[in-house]
Amino acid sequence: MKSLRIGSGSAFWGDMLDPAVELAEKGNLKYIGFDHLAELTLAIMHRTKAREPQKGYIEDIIPWTRKLLPITSKKGVKMITNAGAANPESAGDEVVKIAKELGLIGMKVGIVTGDDIADRLEEIRSKGWKFRNLDTGEEDIDRIKNKIVAANTYIGADCIIECLKEGADMVVTGRVSDNALYVGPIMYEMGWDYSGKYVDPIAAAVAAGHIIECSVMCCGGASNLWKIVKNSWRPGFPIVEFYENGDFIITKVEGSGGLVNEWTVKEHLVYEVHDPTHYTMPDSIADFTSLKLEEIDKNKVKVSRAKGEPRPETLKVCIGYEDGFIGEGHIFFSWPDAMAKAKKAEQWIKDRVKYLGLQLEELRIDYLGVNVLHGEAAPWPSEDIDWNEMGLRVTAKTKTRDEADAIRREVTHLWVAGPVSSSFGVPFAPRPVVSLWPTLVPREEVKPQASIKEVK
Amino acid sequence: MKTKVYLKELAFGRSGDKGDIGNVGIMAKNAESYQVIKKEVTPERVKEYFGGMVKGDVKIYPMDNINALEVVLHKALGGGATRTLRLDQTGKSLCGTLLRMKIEVDEDVVNRARDAEKQILSKYQSW
Repeated sequence: MKSLRIGSGSAFWGDMLDPAVELAEKGNLKYIGFDHLAELTLAIMHRTKAREPQKGYIEDIIPWTRKLLPITSKKGVKMITNAGAANPESAGDEVVKIAKELGLIGMKVGIVTGDDIADRLEEIRSKGWKFRNLDTGEEDIDRIKNKIVAANTYIGADCIIECLKEGADMVVTGRVSDNALYVGPIMYEMGWDYSGKYVDPIAAAVAAGHIIECSVMCCGGASNLWKIVKNSWRPGFPIVEFYENGDFIITKVEGSGGLVNEWTVKEHLVYEVHDPTHYTMPDSIADFTSLKLEEIDKNKVKVSRAKGEPRPETLKVCIGYEDGFIGEGHIFFSWPDAMAKAKKAEQWIKDRVKYLGLQLEELRIDYLGVNVLHGEAAPWPSEDIDWNEMGLRVTAKTKTRDEADAIRREVTHLWVAGPVSSSFGVPFAPRPVVSLWPTLVPREEVKPQASIKEVK
Repeated sequence: MKTKVYLKELAFGRSGDKGDIGNVGIMAKNAESYQVIKKEVTPERVKEYFGGMVKGDVKIYPMDNINALEVVLHKALGGGATRTLRLDQTGKSLCGTLLRMKIEVDEDVVNRARDAEKQILSKYQSW
């Protein structure tokens, strides 16, 4: 039966490079996918592009390509990356430059664009479409339309497939669904299309992509089994061995650190999925409750019985809009009476905010090591504990940069005006907020495009 | 005999974010625990447990194929990763929060779940 092996070389912007190198060298792969984009990375990249029109892509693509291309070009492994972000064309140009330096004349770099619809929002609205906020239920974007910095559609695998058909040796995209980086090569190699004949196998490809798209997170990373995961400091990144009938095996490079078993695969199967019977992606609506997981060997999990529905008629869009600032400051108090000092400081900050008349949209004060993570749900520790130290994390959401900076300054003032024996560490600069407006767009309004750059 | 234990005794967890929605996958340590969790972990209880942390609806989807629940928490991240004042911007620790919720369960079930975890750990320790 026809099959192919694909690795996952990156889960986010800033991931480890060495396990990707190991995958390229020892994975016996035909493709490696690289995800560098979180939900609002595109908004950050658009800002960069506004300042420097040649930028706006994930610059890791340069060291990554330099390190990996000599290996992948020799082994015939094709890299599919979304590092193009807000500027796939320029990212592609960088890849071409590196390929030329390496003497890879004739190499073809596929570029996928068309996910960016920021300039077309009004045109689409004029046809009667409303960009309803999927989180808040707000009906349309009137309130934010003058503050929008990015609107990128999660497009599917169509144009990745097109690039591969054109002979691309590497593909650079902007915003595609994370799993499209894997669905693309699978559909291309298997010769599948969206005609309706391959609905279940495409759902299987989406499931496979979903499981490996966060690289180490299905190989013992961030695992409940962390106590027994071996050599997690040199983890193997995942490999999917995908078969024509839609069954697939999740594994990793032999001898690498980490762990692949029924639990580590389950851990990622449930990750960031809402209704598991309708995991809605641009290429398929997959039913994850149909899947069967079996450990067939050490570090090998077989997944079968994928089911799905045809791809949806709408696509998800993340609109990013400017939404004020966040100011943050930390202050730490030492023994004796560390907790009592921190409580005094909390009140000091609240009184000070009132006294100065600072206009904060929201103020949050966390006790480090107590309730930073679990907030209101964290039980308060016993009053009998004689704390070595206690830290406060003070954050505020504001309309202006000055107010955000003011809250940071007030925390530093506690150093000299608050209880004895404290330190505030390194100050934080106020940070601008780009908030997210998740919404949908009709598929026919989005026109993804594939093109090829050849190394000459 | 019924006892009250942390959900952690019966299940593993993993959590993440999409916009202002947090989700927690709760994976039962054995089939028997899954049946208990399915009954005890209800949207009402989860909503009450999280208190002010979750401002919207809680929805729970069973995954009988892997003995897991998908717990979806709306308006749960203080406005979403880039807007929230929380340190855990992407809700990766929400699983720990939920695993600390207490549920009522037979002592025998808890003991068998503890055994199941021991077996899981010892099986893979040798890999």
